[in-house]
Amino acid sequence: MNQPLLEAHNLTKHYGQTIALHDVDMHVREGITGLLGPNGAGKSTAMKLFLGLLQPTAGSATVLGEKPYENITIRMRLGYMPEHDCLPDFMTASEFLSHMAQVSGIPAKHARTRAADMLRHVGLDEERYRHIKEYSTGMKQRVKLAQALVHDPVLVLLDEPTAGLDPGGREEMLQLVRRTGQEFGINIMLSSHLMGDVESTCDRIIVIEGGAIIEQGDVSEFTQETETFYIDVDDRRAEVIAALEARGIKARISGGAVVVRLHRDEQLDDIRDALVAAEARLRRLAPSRGELSDIFRRSTG
Amino acid sequence: MSQAQAEIYDLGYQHYDGPRGGRMQAVKSLWVNSFRTTIGLGRGARAKILPVLMSLFVIAPPAVFLVIAAVSPVAAQVSHADFYTATSILLLLFSAIIAPELLIPDRRNGVTTLYLVRPLTAFDYVIARWSAFLTVALLVTLFGQVLVLIANSLAAEQAREFLQENWLDIPRFILAGVIITVFVTTIPMAVAAFTDRRAYAAAFVIAAFVITTPMSGLLTTEWCERSMTFAVESGEIVEELGPEECRRITGDYAKWFVLLDVGQAPTHLGDMLFDDDTPDDASILVAELPPAVPIVWYGLLVVGPGALLLWRYRSMSI
Repeated sequence: MNQPLLEAHNLTKHYGQTIALHDVDMHVREGITGLLGPNGAGKSTAMKLFLGLLQPTAGSATVLGEKPYENITIRMRLGYMPEHDCLPDFMTASEFLSHMAQVSGIPAKHARTRAADMLRHVGLDEERYRHIKEYSTGMKQRVKLAQALVHDPVLVLLDEPTAGLDPGGREEMLQLVRRTGQEFGINIMLSSHLMGDVESTCDRIIVIEGGAIIEQGDVSEFTQETETFYIDVDDRRAEVIAALEARGIKARISGGAVVVRLHRDEQLDDIRDALVAAEARLRRLAPSRGELSDIFRRSTG
Repeated sequence: MSQAQAEIYDLGYQHYDGPRGGRMQAVKSLWVNSFRTTIGLGRGARAKILPVLMSLFVIAPPAVFLVIAAVSPVAAQVSHADFYTATSILLLLFSAIIAPELLIPDRRNGVTTLYLVRPLTAFDYVIARWSAFLTVALLVTLFGQVLVLIANSLAAEQAREFLQENWLDIPRFILAGVIITVFVTTIPMAVAAFTDRRAYAAAFVIAAFVITTPMSGLLTTEWCERSMTFAVESGEIVEELGPEECRRITGDYAKWFVLLDVGQAPTHLGDMLFDDDTPDDASILVAELPPAVPIVWYGLLVVGPGALLLWRYRSMSI
């Protein structure tokens, strides 16, 4: 599929005087895309615009080639898992999912089968006839995910899916999200303010802050090897730095390691020679990898 | 000896490639869910008590009358208008308690969001909920009226002749039933759109109807008095009663103040449909008004809350 799943052109949304999104351009293709940003950055507003719940103040938002605000039937192919509580406590998970599948356009007899399948996939097979009010927070999050997937959407929007979960529950939810994207083949846009969630789950990332996009690209682009090398030696760091600088390589100490920036592969030989000259014992020599947190460091100067 | 072997295959995730309905299917499923919720289907025993009681209270009197008419040759007739007068308060109570059940839990639990991210507009959502409740109320009401009709025809000397002479009662009681049920559905739902507590919504609706009845009664009741004069005749004091003088504290405007009793707004239209031989005071006063007045008043009481209900859901931030 060459057409982007989600597309925004100059997308702008104002709430009175407050600017929630300003002039946003984005293209989301297949796979798992993370929408990363601090609270209040405009992530939920962007999702609501793509769901057609809000009308853009300016610009356009399209989903699967359609404008969702004008054509709500496109929502039959979309799933949404909100951040807040959204489950009826008096129903069983099975009843609720079957009902939600029907409201999404699936006939009753198929809806019951889909509901049972989805509850099995999210690990609630045994508990499907229990009332939702008896579920733990983690189980409720899984029901929320299941209702977003029960009608087999092309794309599912997950708003902070790990909110309120303990570390164990969070990892389980992220695994489910990965499985949904990788095994079920359902495209995902996941919004989160937690870099770890996005880094461990997503293929692509869109970083949003203050209603504007500050970076977008593959996660691997942000975490690839850099020109910075870490040299871990026993205790002769000062000597190593002197020997490196004698060979024209600027070095500094950071986090207990000697850090250098290399511009040519031949400089690795200079490092070897410097270590020999400084009579230092090498423990580790490794290139550093970029981190998503660098994006925010760069954007805030 | 061969040993039977079984293997379990995990088919993994299966994509759905069956039929998909559109917006109408979404509205229909929400309607079915609302209908079931109203009568307590798929819910605990507690949720069933009120619908069952309400149905019994509405249907039992005409059912008893039907039995009497079937076994006794001298049973009296019951008017369709009287049946509505008797059951409207029950319908109102039922609606005040049950109708908010269709809107408030969804909003309080955040489920409304999940409906509105599906192929449903806020308008579709409200209409599906509203029409499902209306259907239940209408079915119960009309069933009672059908029993009244059967009982009346059995009580008549010739059932067939009775039906031939009174067949117009059928469209009349259907129309009057629609008028009453639209009213008792719309107002509690509109109130329920503005509170997250079912008890508050029910109490507000019941109180609004309970308070306006005595208010209207006080302003429109005719108070009568007679003057007494004393005269001395042949040395004796003789009391003489003057003519009875009746008046209402609102005078000629009383006919307008009858409309204050909002719970009676649909009944006034019902009175216009049926020829009531024994009208009560309020009906007599309303009859003095131009016929358009009770119709417009009813319209305002239905359209106003209905518009508020829709506005509330269209402007809801989710």
